[in-house]
Amino acid sequence: MKVKAKEKDGIVKVKVLAKHQNIGPEEAEKKKKEANFITSVVAKVGTAVVFELNGSGFMSANPLYKFKFKGKKGDELDVTWTDFKGETENKKVKIK
Amino acid sequence: MINRRKFLGLGLGLATLALAPVTASALDFRKEKIDAWKAEKPADAIKALYGDIKPEEKGVKIKAPKLAENGGKIPVSIKSDIEAKSVAIFQDANPRATVAVWTVQEGGIVDYSITMKMKGSGKITAIVEGKDGKFYSKVLPIEVSKGGCGG
Repeated sequence: MKVKAKEKDGIVKVKVLAKHQNIGPEEAEKKKKEANFITSVVAKVGTAVVFELNGSGFMSANPLYKFKFKGKKGDELDVTWTDFKGETENKKVKIK
Repeated sequence: MINRRKFLGLGLGLATLALAPVTASALDFRKEKIDAWKAEKPADAIKALYGDIKPEEKGVKIKAPKLAENGGKIPVSIKSDIEAKSVAIFQDANPRATVAVWTVQEGGIVDYSITMKMKGSGKITAIVEGKDGKFYSKVLPIEVSKGGCGG
């Protein structure tokens, strides 16, 4: 997962590029693959949640998520995605 | 007509969940509203997620290509200045309607982008759940030249 976080005028802009097949059950059946997709993406600064998304198999493969929140340079952004199978991936970056 | 008592009860329930100490979601939409993810049509998905709502068509912007070259990766942005609790996006081109649901934090900014799939041309519907208890929506048609989603 690639995460970029940049602050300007108190607003942090974030780009998250996850590596995931994101295939829902219908598509999986057609492609004869196992269904698996990112079900949630949560981003935090400290204990505060700043982004929370529940996804589906209708997000693209290797999805790109963008969001904004009020924050400041130097803080650490902690991003985790969880998929249908229960696997997770985490990335921490410093807000630039 | 919204049943006021039922609606207020729902609001209190959500507030209680929000106050509970959390490591991740206060409200995990995939767990709490599983029917919304099963629904085939946007109207049914919206009802499963939010109940019998009558959203006002204002205050919500959807940015997406009018013609998507690749149905497998359509960039879509949703923006709103409304103080929101949640935002949801649906479409009517895939086997099921619900694409994603965001929980909006206290003081959060509704300016989200995702990349999604559509099997063919259709309409995207975005719903913003306001803190004021009202709902706001926007519908945008998208033409897809090459269907994504294995279609």
